[in-house]
Formats: sequence, C-alpha cells, structure tokens
Amino acid sequence: MSAVIETHKLSKWYGNVLGLSDVSLQVNPGITGLLGPNGAGKSTFMKLVTGQLKPSIGRVLIDGQKVRNNNGLFGRVGFCPEYDAFYEGVTGWQFLTAMLRLYGFDTAETNARAEAALDLVELRADKDRPVRAYSRGMRQRLKIAQAVAHDPEIIILDEPLNGLDPLGKRKIIRLIRDYRSEGRTIIVSSHVLPEIEAMTREIILIHQGKILATGDIHSVRDLIDTHPHVVSVTCDRPRDLAARFLGEDYVLSVNFGSAPQTVVVETSNRDRFFGRLPGLLVETGIAVEEITSPDDNLQAVFDYLVGK
Amino acid sequence: MEQQSLVLEDIHFSYGQVAALRGVSLTMGSGAIGLLGPNGAGKSTLLRIILGFLSPHKGQGRVLGYDILCEQRSLRRYVGYMPEDDCLIPGMDAVSFTAFFGELSGMPRAEAMKRAHDVLFYVGLGESRYRLLETYSAGMQQRLKLAQALVHDPRLLFLDEPTSNLDPQGRAEILDLIVDITSKKDISVLISSHILTDIEFLCSSVVILNKGLVAAQGLLADLRRARFNLYELKVKGESDGFLKKLESRGCRPEMTEDGLLKIYMPSGLNNMEIVRAAAEEKVQIRQFIKSRTSLEDLFAQTVGVD
Amino acid sequence: MIRDRGYFHWDGAFIDRRWPWWPITRQGLRLAFKMKLFKFIFVGSLVPAFVFLAGVYISERLEDFKAMVHGRGTLISVDPAFFKTYYSIDFLLLMLVMLMLFSGAGLIADDAKHNALQLYFSRPIRKKDYFLGKAGVLWFFLLILTLVPGLLFILFKIIFSGSFALLRSFPWLPLSVLAESLILTVFFSLYTLLLSSLSSNRRYVSIMIFGVYIFSDILFGIFYGLVRSPYAALISIKANLQQVAAFLFRLKPAFAVSWVYSLLILGAICVLSVFVLNRRIKGVTVIR
Repeated sequence: MSAVIETHKLSKWYGNVLGLSDVSLQVNPGITGLLGPNGAGKSTFMKLVTGQLKPSIGRVLIDGQKVRNNNGLFGRVGFCPEYDAFYEGVTGWQFLTAMLRLYGFDTAETNARAEAALDLVELRADKDRPVRAYSRGMRQRLKIAQAVAHDPEIIILDEPLNGLDPLGKRKIIRLIRDYRSEGRTIIVSSHVLPEIEAMTREIILIHQGKILATGDIHSVRDLIDTHPHVVSVTCDRPRDLAARFLGEDYVLSVNFGSAPQTVVVETSNRDRFFGRLPGLLVETGIAVEEITSPDDNLQAVFDYLVGK
Repeated sequence: MEQQSLVLEDIHFSYGQVAALRGVSLTMGSGAIGLLGPNGAGKSTLLRIILGFLSPHKGQGRVLGYDILCEQRSLRRYVGYMPEDDCLIPGMDAVSFTAFFGELSGMPRAEAMKRAHDVLFYVGLGESRYRLLETYSAGMQQRLKLAQALVHDPRLLFLDEPTSNLDPQGRAEILDLIVDITSKKDISVLISSHILTDIEFLCSSVVILNKGLVAAQGLLADLRRARFNLYELKVKGESDGFLKKLESRGCRPEMTEDGLLKIYMPSGLNNMEIVRAAAEEKVQIRQFIKSRTSLEDLFAQTVGVD
Repeated sequence: MIRDRGYFHWDGAFIDRRWPWWPITRQGLRLAFKMKLFKFIFVGSLVPAFVFLAGVYISERLEDFKAMVHGRGTLISVDPAFFKTYYSIDFLLLMLVMLMLFSGAGLIADDAKHNALQLYFSRPIRKKDYFLGKAGVLWFFLLILTLVPGLLFILFKIIFSGSFALLRSFPWLPLSVLAESLILTVFFSLYTLLLSSLSSNRRYVSIMIFGVYIFSDILFGIFYGLVRSPYAALISIKANLQQVAAFLFRLKPAFAVSWVYSLLILGAICVLSVFVLNRRIKGVTVIR
C-alpha cells in the first residue's frame, strides 16, 4: 500500500535560513504526531505539504501527485494553522461559508456543510457574532471547523488544542479519532506531548530541519540504545528484590526511587527482565503493588533524542 | 498549625446581569493547588477578586491575612502574579525589568536590584539577563514572567497557564522550576491551566469551578479514588492461557483495543494471584498499576457534560 | 558550608515610599534618553532658552554692544513682552510637541501593546501612581523648558543689572512665569497621555501627537480665511496657548477674542484627558 503523503529529499531554505533539510518520509492513513522544538521545521513541513511553499530541493507528493500548484488536490486537504488570521469584522458563519465557497460548492451545499462543521465544534450558537467578539477557544474551534468543513481526506492540524479547555480538548481528540476510524490521514503537531500520546502512537520527530525519528513511540524508544530501559517496581520488600536483581547480568543498575518502597532498575534487555520477573516475585513471595516503565513515553523519547 | 493562606466565604460577583460567581467558598494552605474549570466558569473573576481588583458583591475573605474588601492594595505586596500573555517593556533588559517591578512592589532600590539578579539566575536566565527583552524567545519570556512574579518573595504565587506556547523542552524546564518552588513549604501556589497532565504533575489538590460555583475541591489523591480492585496491565507473550487462568480464579479480564488489559479482581483475592498466573503461563507483565480515575475523567464527571 | 541551590527567600524589608510613582518616572526618563534622536531634539529645544538668556545678557551689557547699536536707546529690553515672546515662539511650542512625541508617545501605548499593564497593576500601586509616574517623565522635560528658563531669565536679569528693578516694576512677573509654566506643562502632559492611551501602537500615537497639534493650526488658518472672525483662533491649540500667554504677561493678545475662552478650551482638553485615562486604564483588565 503506497503512502498517502510522500516526500523525497525535501528541503527548504528561506534565504540562508534553514527550514528543512533532506526529508524523505511517508505518511500513512491514521493519526501521525509531528513534534519538535521551536524552529525545528514543523511549520515549514506543514506549509510544504499543503502546497503553500515551494520546495528548494525535492518534492512532496500526495497520492503520487505533486502538491505545489496542484489546485485539484487542495480540495482534499484541510489545514488548521497555529496562528489566527481572521477578518475580524465578519461573523463566524460568513467566514466559514466564504472558505467553503472557495472549494467550489454551491450555496445549498455550502450552507449544509457549514452547519455541520459548526455543530461538530459546537459553535452553532455563536455563528452570527463577529469574530472579534470570539474568545480564544472559539477562534480555535472556528479554525478547526474551516479545516474539516469540506470533508478532506487529509487533515493537517497545527496545535489544534491550543486555547481549548479540557472538555473542548476531549471533544476534538474524539473527533480526530473518529476521522482515523474513517480512514482519513491526519497529521497533528503539538508541543504538549501527553496530548499527542492520547491520540496516537505514530510520530515524526523533527529537529534542526532534519527528521530525528519516525515510527511507533515504543519502537523508537527501543532503538535508543544510549539510554537503557528503566523499570520501576513498588513492592513490600524493595531491598530483597533489589538484592535479587543485582545477581542478574542484564540488570545494569539498581536504585531506590524517591517514592517509598520503590526499586528502579535499568536493564539492557527487557525481554529477559520481564520474563524473569513474575517467577522471581512468586519465588520470593514479594507482594508487588505497581510495575511501570517511567521512560517509555514520548517525553522521554523527546528528551533523549533532542535534549542536551 | 498551618496558616491558611486563602480563605473565601460565599463569594458572589456579577457583571451587570450576568452572574460570574454564585457563592464560592474555598480555603487554601501551602503547596500547589490547581484551579480548573471550563471557559466561562468564573476563574478569571475569582482571580481578580483574590488579587484585590474587584470587590465581591457578597461574601468575604482573607488572602494571606489581608481582607479582600478593604486591604486590597496591601495584599498585592505579598502576591506574585505570572500572567498568561507575554509582557515586556521595550528597551529594557531583564535585570532592569525585574528590579523595576520589585521596586514597585515596595522593595528598596538596591534590594530590588540584588534580588533581581538572584531570581534571574534561579529561573535560568542568568546568562541572558543583560540582553534586551525584545530578543527573548518564548521560553525565556515565560521565565522572565516567573522571575518578576518571584522578585518580591511573595507568599502566594499565582501562575496563569505557565506552560502555554512552550516547546517540550521549555515545558519540562518550567515544570521543574515550579516543582522546586512548591517544594518549599511556606509558599502557596495557585496554578490555572488547561493542560491536565501538568496539573496532575504539579498539584496535590485541585479546585474545579463550573458555572460560578465550586464543583469539586480537595486532594487529588482523594478525588481520584482508586477504582476498587481494578488493575491495568500491559502484557507480552501468549496471553490466552493467562486470561483463562485468571477467569478460572474468579477475575474478570478485559483487553482493550490499545493493548491494555483491565482486570477486575473480586474481593478476597490477592493481586499476587495475577503474578502467579503470569509466572505459570510464562507471560511478561510490563505494566501493573491500580486503576484510578484520571484527572480528565474527574473533570468531565464533575463538570457534568459529555 | 555550601550554598543551597534551590529557591530561597528574601530577607529584606519592604519600604513605604513617599513618592510611589518615582520608579516609573525614573524608568521613563531612562528609556527616553536612550534614543539618540531624542537627545538631539532635547538639545535643539533648549536653543531658544539659550538665545533668550543671551538676550538678557545683551540687554544689560549694552556698552559692549554699543558698536552695534549706533544711537538707538535700547537694543533689547527685558520686560514682560520678552517673557511672553519666549513662551509664544512657534519654534518652542513645536519643540515641546516633538519632545512629547519622543518621550511620551509610548508611555501608555507600549504598556498596552506589550501587556505590561498587568504587571504594573498586580503591584500595590494605585492607578493614580501609575499616571503620576508617567506624567512625571513629561513634566521633567516640560518644566526644564518652561519654568526653569523663566526663573533663570529673572535671576540673570537681576544679577546682570545689579538691581531688583525688574521685580519692582513688575512684581507679578515670577507668578506669571509660574502660572504660564504650569499651564503649558499640565496641558501638554495631559494632551500626550490622552493620546498615548488611545492606541496601542506607538507610531500612531506619535502621528496623533504631532498631527493634532499641526492640524488644529491649519484648520484655524482655513477657517480664518473663510470667516475672518477672530473666534477661529479658538480652534488652534497653538493660538490658544499664545492667547493665554499674552494675558498672563499683561499684553495685548494677538486675536480679538477673550483669553478666557482659550483657557476654557485648554482646560476642557485636560478634563477630557483625565476622564478618558480613567476609563481606559481599568485595573480589571489586568486579568483577562
């Protein structure tokens, strides 16, 4: 199955300022998280994929076709930018219908789609108020509405949850998950890593214009061999357990965690460790309360790959 | 006996006809407290009253011992506010900026200058404290706001969306700073944020506002009650035998689509039974935690919409 | 011992300043003087003062300049007209406007634009202190150009002439100097603060400060051309200021309209300014 979005050696410079360098990747249907420090190239990437910028080197393809200046494709892509750029004097309704018209829908269809989109983001009640009266959360929802109103197969969202309260975030995450179930391709960029984790396990990590990592968060974590895996076990006799761990050769270090009754172990081979653990617990009769992997998450992946 | 840093009783406030707060009572000790609520719940109004900008139409309270109705200006001397929006004064560098606001808080000029340097080092801006503020990045801006909130050594610190607009590194660094500040037992920190994972990380108690009233209040550990005997596991290996064994012992296992195994344990059964079953069936248990309502679920349940 | 590296407290004591607005003024002055262009303008605006001061000297040491005089009795006489002229020169008034523009356009506008108002008002200062502090910056420059030269002229005249003749002839002169300085200072500072609070863009405010002043004068010229009535002078800020100066120094005003109206118009602008400032800077907007 060929990927929906493909880039080949994609690079972009603004004068001599680096945007992206040599990015070749594939994005499949489903939700992909895009993350990276500020200035890494995320916005450049999104603008290239949506055809707003011309690549300096390389190309971007959607379904095998070049994106740049390919107006036929734009109807299939929805984009929600990070920053607001509204005409403050128009109402939410006018804005949305104007955007929809640009896709070539007739009046009846425009109105129907606009109603549906506003319902999705729960802005129906405020549709006739001017944008200047909208709160931050409402503006954000209007941006999301215009990104999805024309039913695109590919949706690109830059910090979509910014400014929303926890309930709003929940609804939008649910919406994005629904789109995934429908087989659409969604790229979500966010700085709040736990929110990306709530949506997907597929990520693209960009740093200094290059792709640092792609794939499933846990696979990426496995590949980071500079940092052995950390496992934390809370039990009733941590020192006994620690003593037993010390005898195993795949255990690289044993520490006592800051939380009480906790042993923190670094291991080079999780299969052997976890393979041995239940048996060990049964043999020693140690009652376990909790087992976790504190660095098997996106923040750790980010820190290990990008951090100082 | 711990001095309550904030006591509010039955606070009412309306903007014209619109009631923003309809009877809010709350107390705060030291440590970090999260202030949560949907937009329009009354958080900013509550904050204005706590900082002494608005007088409640009904009700009374004391912040750090100062009456919120008649000692409004005095209490601002002991409160630090870190706003959500970026703020700067063009043409100033970080040291002058921080010292300036220290002076306006009532510090003598030399003391303000001394403390400004200390605080800027503490928040990590030591190297860049002589640079003009217009050159500051988003992360540096956030730290600067924290510095000006701390310069006069407040006893109550209010942080409004402290991690907004920061990249993951910046967020982690600010969170660490806040953890350090809250570890000092004699400063109360009130944090308002829409990012619930941050609140879970930083705060030991929360106040959830909804429609002008307190919808929930208390220690997070209490509010997020462990669901009785429900465990969440991640396993690796041939799990069919494992699941059957669990069922035969009386447990109710359920595999979700994300690969999470939820096991409901009947009372009387020790959780070691799970481990025993895993050892016998040669299944790896990679995660074993007692299920608790997440703050997100608590929020949704409390605010009552879904 | 080793120093603990975490957060630590301040062990100093707060003070109650006599003038809580002073740090704001000091800061505003620092920022104003940072601009190179501003320094030029400031120096340029002092030129009339120096010229007139030289005039005071010349008026006394006439013998040194006898060669220039060739029989005329007096070259320059330091009398109320002298003062009135100083306070009415177009150049001086224009320079005052320029000084206001550079030191004052951003005073409130920048705070609004960069959200600094939140920080000010989360401190234990009153709204009054904020305005006094900002006004203080403007008063510094205005008084240096109005009150100080006026008093220096009187002082130098007394010193150079070696007598108090000036004060004996015109005992009300120092009071007039004081009154005129106050009127110019209060008016221009409120005018500038009013405009600075109307926009959050410093450039627009600069244009307004300059533009309103010049435009009012141009408008006056147009109306005067149309209706030929001295009442047209009431439109021009400059003309109003000159009318009041003439009255204070007991001279005939340039236009045949009462100085009282001029004063009222200037006063109305000041009142409007106070009203608008109070409305626009509300403490509640500190938290959105």
